[in-house]
Formats: sequence, structure tokens, C-alpha cells
Amino acid sequence: MTETAAQHSPGSKAQPPAIRWSLPARIVTGFSGLPGLILKFALLAILNALAVWAGVVLASNERWPALAVLVLATVGIDFLYLQPRGLPLKFLVPGTVFLLAFQVVPVLYTIQVAFTNYSTGHILSKSEAVSTIEENTLAPPPDGQTYTLSPALDKDGNLALLLVDDASGKPYVGTEDGLEPLATSDVTIAEGLITAAPGYTLIKGARLFALDRELADFRVPVGKGAVHPEGIDSAVELAPTMRYDRKADTFTNISNGAVFRDNGKGAYASPTTNEQLEPGWKTTVGSKNFSRVLHDPLIRGPFVRVFAWTLAFATLTVVLSFALGLFLAVTLQKQFRFQRLYRTILIFPYAVPSFLTLLVWRGLLNDDFGVVNKLLHTSFPFLFDGTWAKGSVILVSLWLTFPYFFLVSLGALQSIPGDLVEAARVDGAGAWQVFRQITFPLLLVAVAPLMIASFAFNFNNFNNIFLLTGGGPPAGDASVAGETDILISYTYKIAFTAGRGTDYALAATVSIFIFLIVAMIATVSFWRSKTLEQIR
Amino acid sequence: MSKNKRTVSMAGVAVVAVAATIGGSISKPAAAGLNQGTSVSRASAGTLLIWADRDRERDITSLANAWGRKRGVAVKVIAKAEQSNIRADLITVKADNAPDVILGAHDWVGQLAANGLIVPLVPKKSAIRYIPKYTRDAFSYGKTTSRLYGMPTHVENVGLFVNTKLARVPKSWADLEQQALRFKKKGGGRVAIDVQQGLGGTGDAYHMYPFFSGLCGYVFGKTKGGALNPKLVGLDNAAFMKNAPMIDRWNKEGLINAKIDNDTAKSLFTSGKAAFWVTGPWNIDTARKAGVKFKIVQMPKIKCQSAPFLGVGGVMVTKFARTHGVASAAKDFVGSYMASTAAQTTLSVKNGRYPANTQAAKKIRNTALRQIGLASAGGIPMPNIPQMDSVWADLGTAWLKSTKGAGATKARVAFKSAARSIRNKIAGG
Repeated sequence: MTETAAQHSPGSKAQPPAIRWSLPARIVTGFSGLPGLILKFALLAILNALAVWAGVVLASNERWPALAVLVLATVGIDFLYLQPRGLPLKFLVPGTVFLLAFQVVPVLYTIQVAFTNYSTGHILSKSEAVSTIEENTLAPPPDGQTYTLSPALDKDGNLALLLVDDASGKPYVGTEDGLEPLATSDVTIAEGLITAAPGYTLIKGARLFALDRELADFRVPVGKGAVHPEGIDSAVELAPTMRYDRKADTFTNISNGAVFRDNGKGAYASPTTNEQLEPGWKTTVGSKNFSRVLHDPLIRGPFVRVFAWTLAFATLTVVLSFALGLFLAVTLQKQFRFQRLYRTILIFPYAVPSFLTLLVWRGLLNDDFGVVNKLLHTSFPFLFDGTWAKGSVILVSLWLTFPYFFLVSLGALQSIPGDLVEAARVDGAGAWQVFRQITFPLLLVAVAPLMIASFAFNFNNFNNIFLLTGGGPPAGDASVAGETDILISYTYKIAFTAGRGTDYALAATVSIFIFLIVAMIATVSFWRSKTLEQIR
Repeated sequence: MSKNKRTVSMAGVAVVAVAATIGGSISKPAAAGLNQGTSVSRASAGTLLIWADRDRERDITSLANAWGRKRGVAVKVIAKAEQSNIRADLITVKADNAPDVILGAHDWVGQLAANGLIVPLVPKKSAIRYIPKYTRDAFSYGKTTSRLYGMPTHVENVGLFVNTKLARVPKSWADLEQQALRFKKKGGGRVAIDVQQGLGGTGDAYHMYPFFSGLCGYVFGKTKGGALNPKLVGLDNAAFMKNAPMIDRWNKEGLINAKIDNDTAKSLFTSGKAAFWVTGPWNIDTARKAGVKFKIVQMPKIKCQSAPFLGVGGVMVTKFARTHGVASAAKDFVGSYMASTAAQTTLSVKNGRYPANTQAAKKIRNTALRQIGLASAGGIPMPNIPQMDSVWADLGTAWLKSTKGAGATKARVAFKSAARSIRNKIAGG
């Protein structure tokens, strides 16, 4: 491009070629030469500006590996696009960048999470957990007092707390050294709060808010604990009930002497009673999640059943949709009246957001109150009986998926050379023979990858299952997996609705298993479909 | 030619470099601002950030602004679409965008406290004078030390909505059963008792709870100290097992239909196809707008009191208030201002929820709201411990299995296996 820019000066005698190019083609060729060069520099400039901004943010948050990747990627892209060679790479790089950023990085992150214990009770760092436990286990001691509070500044401008004991009404001043009584005659008390005291200026309003952090962290040591400000007009004496030993890294219950040690799994636990302190923290736990998936009967029990149904569901959806889509495509191939209208109508299920239509179908198929049963005067348990529910799910998925295969088949049918079919007819082949031995194999070459992709999609089709039946109806065994649960909706249930809140690490682990299964099936299918190419 | 090429390339690199520098100079203040947010306080910006759900956004904004004006604090309220978004987002939000105060339900307290996301409060006695102890207990949590983690603002529960044109207010359970079945016999798609279970796979243990407690069931037993003990699961206790066959009878008579979901339940009552609806204050307006004349009572006692589950809503202070340097202001707002009669009256009137503050409760004019408040007597706050999550699915499923009409499981079997499943999950979790 740079060569042509240098070659042609504006207004040169380069004439438009004899061929009359179409408008889009002319627009595209208009970009070659200087305008294209300027556009390229502009885009690179924007990209670099963004990269510099992102780099500064990363640096200020001290994310050094991400910063290194960013710098290398930006410099690499600059070098690539500022030199004339490497044309294929120039086309591949944008797609690859997005693939890495939005596919590969999340997968790597998921794998990393699967090796941790990231779940309810384990989302903080260890130091945060220690300080939170210390804070949450404070308690008012049996003889502790509560006070009203008036924050004030002393003569040197330091924060001091002017307190009035709720029980006795005596005034005190609290500093970091401790509590000192004030003479009642010196101070003015109105509505239980000190409003004036000699040597102290009260702080109020916006000025007080500016000192909020200092006030919240202020502690007046008293007895076994300290007086803590609560809000801006009260304070309470709190004493610790757990003691943290920094050297030994243990918590000790002060009243009964129970000791809690770091149990290596992200919590302080008592070795004798196995009781755990909350909160815990996030830490790596090696392959504990993986062995749990493989050995825990709660997870493993229904696994085979759910896996079998997932395979069946994905296969049936794809095969039936393909059959129906192909049938309709062949039927609507020839020109006849209203052909375009029929084609448009058949695309509707695919065009309307499936989220909406699934909810509508759920209402239509309701056993007692749904329109379908009302119209037919029947009471088929569409969504409430195990087998019927499976059938309904496949039926609705078929309804949603066949337009996709219809479109694809229409396109693929056009690409089959007409003279092949003619030659077969001349040789005396019947319509079905033509279809079976010429059209279908050639079609399959084009459509097989799409079928594999659709299979992978339906293997993890959370929406279709969850919105239609919620994975139900409940199955005979005691697990959370219903009759129509597929692996991914089952993962969702065990990770987020069973046990103690959300278990991201477990969900990540099961996702990895699903990923491996789907990848294996897809790879094998692709290898097998290569043999189709030899039909040509 | 090559010299031109080189010139052009160098020009290009120069342009790109200039752009990079410009980008850098623009980004420095932005980065500085971002940097400040994490480690330095936002007191210089002086804002208290509150997360509320969409329903309460307007009311909490006016309350917060009134408080902010008095204290000299700027307040910002962000409305999340659903309440559940507040709880989920709090785990993953970055410190810069995190809220200092959240509005939420008491049954989140266990999870949030176990995650260390909310901080305990010790409000002064004068502030909580009119806040009943059971609501404060609902907001208390702690394995070794029980502490208060939020300020209750309102109480909600399900009650029995009776369409006074189609039925009488039942005096007893037998009366209710008789009236309901007679109404259903009239045909035309009528149902006996309109209570939603829906399909979602896991039913609706919350709406079915009055029936459950009426048959003497309970979820968790209590320790000697009165705290909930997740090891004592009460789904299969002796009294409930004795009464469970009544569920089978109801299923045969068609008293309860498990196939009714949330939308169907609403349309059945508003169209007059159901005389008895088990639902909560969120549907008071729906029923009124449909022109139905109704009265709300507590479900009559079956074998034990049919106490509903109580949901206590309130405000909590998050751990981010300390990071942002607004902790004292946040504790003042939550522990002092939101407990006051004036604040709770405003919140409940606009919101249609029964306030926790007993003085504010006395001031309620709305008949339906007063009735549903009375219907909460003896209600049981939903357990707020994290183990409760395993209960919802299993308890709801047990109801689904035993009331699904033909082919239903015997209630004794369904609830026994639910109890076993819950014990397994709690032990394993």
C-alpha cells in the first residue's frame, strides 16, 4: 500500500479501468493509497492511546504480568501493521486477539479457580479474614458501659471523645491513653450529650464527616477492651472474646481456652471439635474439588443418568432439527407461488428471542391451565411427568432449532452443481436415489461441521432446560438433579442452590469436566467428518 | 521508492507515538482518580453510597437526602433491578464501586457475615426502643459470638387473602377446607386453595410454610441457648410424621394443586376463580386494582399454629464503608436514623410493608396492611444461617412430589427423604 501511495501523485493520469466496478467495490478501492494509509495510522494511534491508558491503570494497580502482556501485544501489533509484509497475519491478528482475550483467558481463569476454594465463606484474603474475625468476635463485657458521644478536638487539634456514661450520667473524656473523668460542673450537658467543655471544641456536620475515618478507627483503651465509637453520637465498650496470636497464627477463645488453627483449607478450625471460625479466606486447595466430583456420592450419584440424558437431548435435537430443516429446504427449493412467504414464516422461531418463547411455551404446556391442554380437552402432563417432560423439551428445542438448519440446508443445496444431478437423471436414477447418493453426501460435507457445532451448543443449552422445566420434575432419587436436568443446569444447582450458598470453585471444576467431554466428542466428530471430504 | 517508504513509515510511527503520549497525558488524572479510590478515603468526595432495589429506591433516596442534609453528608443511591442482584454483586464488586450501605433481607445475614461483607452494629438503646427483639434476632448471627448485623425496617409474611364476595372468613381449618372444596366443585376451572408452587423444579417452600407449620413441622431445632442448630433438622419430627397423611388426603381431594405457578395464582384470584389466596403484601395492590373485596387473615390452625415464615427487611453496613472512610456516618444512618419512627413510617407507607418499629406500626392507616401485620403474629423468621440454602430446594420438592395430583409420592416418604437429603448436605458442606 505504501508503494502505491508513493507512486501515484494526486491528479495523475491514472485512468479508471475499462471495467465498470460496482459501487461497493469502488468504495473499497478508494481506500487504497493515501486515504487508506491515513486511516491505518489513525486506527493504530487510537489503539496505542487506549493501550497507554490501560497500561497506566494496570501499573497503578500493580498488575505486572497483565502490563507486560499489554506492552508486548501493542508493540507487536504496531510493528506488524507498520511494515509491508506478512499479509495473512495482518488478517488473522484481530480475530486471534479477541479469541485469546474472550475465550482463552476465561478458560484459564476457570481452571485456576477450580484449584481454589472460592465459595461462600472463602472470598477474602487471609489478613482480611483475621481482622474481620477479630472485629466480629468483640462483645460487650458483662460490666461494660455505653456512652453518648460528642466528638471534639482538644487544644492541640487532636481528636478526643467527650462521653457521658448512660448509666451514671458522669462525663468523661476519652483519648488514646484512656478514659479520664471530667468535672460535672465544667461541662454543659443537653439531652444527654456534652455540648460544651473547657479546652475542647466540638466538631459537627461536614467537618465531622471529613474526620470520619479517624473517628471510626479511634479506640479508648479501657479495662480488658476499649471504647468504640458507634456512629457519631454513641460509643460502647467492647472486649475481645478471641485472642489472635500472631506468631503461632492461632485464635484462642478467651473464656474456655479453645484453640483454632489454620487448617490449610482456608479457615481457622479447632482440631478437636472441627468447628470453624467465620469468615475463612480464599486459598488453593489443590485437587480437592476434582476428587470431590469423582468421589462424592451426592455429585456422582446422578451423574451417569444426567450425562446420558444430556447426550440424548443434544443428539436428538440436532438430528431431528436437521432432518426437519432439510426436508423443508428440499420442499421449498423449487419456485412456486408464495415460496418467499413460506420461507419467511419458517424463520420466525429462530428470529424471536428464545428467552421469550421458552417462557411462553412453559405457559402453553402447563398441565392444568395451559392452552394446549385446554384446546384439546386433555390433561397430558407435558411438564410434570418425567418422560413427557423429556419429550416436551425436545419438541420445543426442535421448534427453536429447525429454522437454523433450514437456512443452512437451503444454502448448501444451492451449492451442489446442477449438472451432477442432471447427469444422474440421464443415467436413470430416481428422485430418492439422486437424493441419497448425490445430494445428501455433498450436503453433509458442508453441514457436518455445523451439526457438530450445534451439538456442542445444545449439550450446554442451559436456557432451553431451565426456562422450560427448571430441570424438573423431581426425579425418584434424593439428588437435586431433576428428570430433565442436563450437565450444565445440574452444575448450576449443585454449585449455587445446594449446601452453603455459592460454590464457584465446584462450579468451575464441573465446567472443566463438561468442557473436556464436549471437546473430546467434537474432536472425534471432526476427524470422522474428514472422511466425508473424500466423497468428492 | 524505498526512501519514500521509509519516510512514510517513520511518519506513521511518529504519529502513533504522539497519539500514545496524548493518551498518556489524558489517562494520568483518570488513573490517579482510580488509584485514590482503592486506598485513600473517598471522604474528600464525601459520598455515602447506598444500594437499594428498584421498589424502594425513591423512598430511601428521600430519607437518605433528609439525613444527609442534617449531617452534611452527600448521599448517592443506586437501584439494582432485583434484590438478589444486591447480594450477588456484593461478592464480586470492586472496592471503588462498592456500596457502603445496602438494603436487604434478614436471611442474607448468615451468608454475608460468613463472607465478612457486612459489619456488626451496636446501636444505642434509645434508637432501638421500639424495634422488637425478634426482628433484631433475625438480623443477628455469629457462631461463637452473636452480634447484630443490620437494622430491621419492615416485616413481611404471607397471609390468607379471602375474597369476601365468594367466601366467608374461615373460623377454623375444617371450615376453610369445606368452603374451599365446595367452591372448587362449582367447576369452570375453579381451585380450592390458591397457593403457588410453580414448576421451577423446586416448588415454593416459602409459600407452603403455613401448611407445614400447621402440621407441626419445623426446619431447624434450637440449642439450649436459643440459637438455631442446623444439626437438628425437623422435617421428619414425630408430630409432623403423624399428621403427614393429611397431605395425601388433600392431594386426593384436590385441595392443593402443585401445578399453580406465580402468574397463574395471581390470575386465578383476580378473575374470581379462587376464593382463598396465600400470598404476601406485594400483592395487596394487585388484588385491589382488580376490584376484589378481600380480607387478610392468618391461616387457621390445623394441628399446630399455621405460623408463616417472616421475612424481615432491613439496612446493613458493608465492610467497604471502612475502606471508603464513611464508617461512622454509615453506622449513624443505619443504626440511628433508619430505626426512628419517622423514617420507618415514611418507608412503610410508600412501600406497602409492615414496619418493624412498633410506634410506626400503630400509625398505619391502610386496612389491608394492618390485617397482614396481624396475620404475622407468632410467625417464625426464616433461618438466616447459610445452611438454609440447602433446605429450600428439598422442602419445596417434597411438597411438589406429594401434591402433584396423580402419581404423587406419599407425604411421609417425601418429607423423610427430604430430611435425609438436607442432613447429608449440611454434614457435607
